[in-house]
Amino acid sequence: MIKFGKGNLRVPQWSRRVFMVAGGCTPFRKYFPEYKLEELVMMGYKMMLEDNDLKMSPKEIKDSIQYCAYGEFADHFQDQLLCEAKIHDYLGLDPLWNNGIKTGGATGGAAVLNGAMAVASGYADTVLVCGWERMDEVDTRTGNFYISTAACKDFETRMGRIYSSYYAPMANRFAEAYNLSEVTRAKVAVKNRGYAMSNPNAQQPGHHTVDEVLASRMSAYPLRFLECCAMTAGSASVLLCNEEMAYKLSDHPVELFMAGGTHTLRVADRRHMEIPLLPNEPEGMYDELLADSGRWPGFESFLAARFAAYLAYRMAGVHEPLEELDLVELHDAFTISDIQTYGDIGLRPYGQEPDYIESGDAYFGGKCPSNLSGGLLGTMHAVGATGIWQAAEVLWQIQGKYDKFHGEDKWWQRAGKQKPADWKSLQVPDAKQGLWISHAGVGSHVTCGILRKAW
Amino acid sequence: MTKPYEGPLATQFIGTPSEIYDESGDFWVVDFPRSITHHHTYGLLTPFFKGLTEGKLMATKCTNPECTENSTWLPPRADCPDCYARTEWVEAPTVGKIYAYTMLDYAGIGIEMETPYWQVDVQLEGVDTIFKGWLKQGKPVTGMPVRAEFRTNNPTHTILDVCWVPIED
Ligand SMILES: [Zn+2]
Repeated sequence: MIKFGKGNLRVPQWSRRVFMVAGGCTPFRKYFPEYKLEELVMMGYKMMLEDNDLKMSPKEIKDSIQYCAYGEFADHFQDQLLCEAKIHDYLGLDPLWNNGIKTGGATGGAAVLNGAMAVASGYADTVLVCGWERMDEVDTRTGNFYISTAACKDFETRMGRIYSSYYAPMANRFAEAYNLSEVTRAKVAVKNRGYAMSNPNAQQPGHHTVDEVLASRMSAYPLRFLECCAMTAGSASVLLCNEEMAYKLSDHPVELFMAGGTHTLRVADRRHMEIPLLPNEPEGMYDELLADSGRWPGFESFLAARFAAYLAYRMAGVHEPLEELDLVELHDAFTISDIQTYGDIGLRPYGQEPDYIESGDAYFGGKCPSNLSGGLLGTMHAVGATGIWQAAEVLWQIQGKYDKFHGEDKWWQRAGKQKPADWKSLQVPDAKQGLWISHAGVGSHVTCGILRKAW
Repeated sequence: MTKPYEGPLATQFIGTPSEIYDESGDFWVVDFPRSITHHHTYGLLTPFFKGLTEGKLMATKCTNPECTENSTWLPPRADCPDCYARTEWVEAPTVGKIYAYTMLDYAGIGIEMETPYWQVDVQLEGVDTIFKGWLKQGKPVTGMPVRAEFRTNNPTHTILDVCWVPIED
């Protein structure tokens, strides 16, 4: 069994508090030929500057930025190296330093963490975190192949050339180990695609039934098409600040706590590890489970997500996630990876993940609803933007602005859509604290961010 | 010596005009085609890929007495991540048990097996990792015994040179 070094388990201590004050994004589409990439980035960035009730003009805020963290998943998709330089110039932010961040599907989360480190360290007081992806230059199967080059090219990529085939074996294993039914898996797709109906920016919203999900085309058994996220073109931005700037800019700033974890890119290379215990998990609570399965995280769980939560909960002083979090946004690229994460971040103990769905806790009105934004399944996965957009959705919930950003006609018009007559608000009443997970590879990189009301 | 600049030039376009893919709106979407070959090295793992063409499954093991894990790796790795010692080559068993599986129906472009097919993760005695592969025939069940089959004739020189078949008993 692999044990972690004591030094490796140190909880991050930021030198200064970090706040998030604003977010913006584009509508999300499979094909977005009306705009060039930098034009899409400008659209989300301007929304962040202009529509978040900030107490300074867009020009004054632009003049206050000192650093930018840019998220882009794959140069393959953009067909452009050093896209960061083009975007940065287009946003008129030279000569400020910027870093291009790449950690697969967790790129957006990693960009937020990078921006937060810049604020926490004192490098900057005001930081733009911005991400994008344009996955519409190639056909879907070529896109699937590009993404599969984020599996090991020597030992895995040729085995499927599509990422669903690296998650699907975990789904079969999880089903046997923890008694997960196909119906519970399908319920995740029904829930998140259903919530996407309220989101004007959603790429694939829909009121589906469990039967429809299970009858949809097979990608890699047992994962059906409706259980997999789409490829998207779009961008997202958030603004991070130190304490002084946060209150200067906003009457409703939100404090950020955040950490990340990693694990082998090849699931095959996972060896048996000790389980880093969350603050509410007593020593020895998983002895029985480990005696059965013989290895952790095996194909069932994600060490990267567990480690990120292990650190982030301690940074934020969260003891009982289900009680203390008012909502979560999880990386539901596939129904199964969403469910696997429930155990990693303590929404349920390991082995009881399906109960988070079956109990109703995961639904709007439940104890700790997840992916009210529509998630990756319903709304978007413009990979470099995803973890940033998720953060913005949590921010807006805590600021009480769900209706403003999802219900106002302006956003439906911008997206070229008619607001549905049965549009439903998914504002969590009095939301004070939320969490979002950004996830890469088959659990290779995961960030865990916690946002807390700070006014 | 490089010739100095000698004056005016006359230049012709010698490329291939880009096709317009979509002009259904106020925009042009044009095609930028691309075809590329990478020369990819297997480096210190070359004995593994050579081994496949000889019907062997070569793993690596850390034998450093100071190492806390002394793990056996398949896929192999030349350097132990626990103690940073250079690992040694060992032959892995060519029979194992199915640990996990999926049936691949919709694959990405360039797939080299006929779809659908079963992708399998195989647990091998004495190996600390689980080895991903493909099942040539039959239907996998967790725990099912399988043996490796090697493409020693006309090898692909890739990981696809090994696959698995059920052991009938
Ligand atoms: Zn070693």
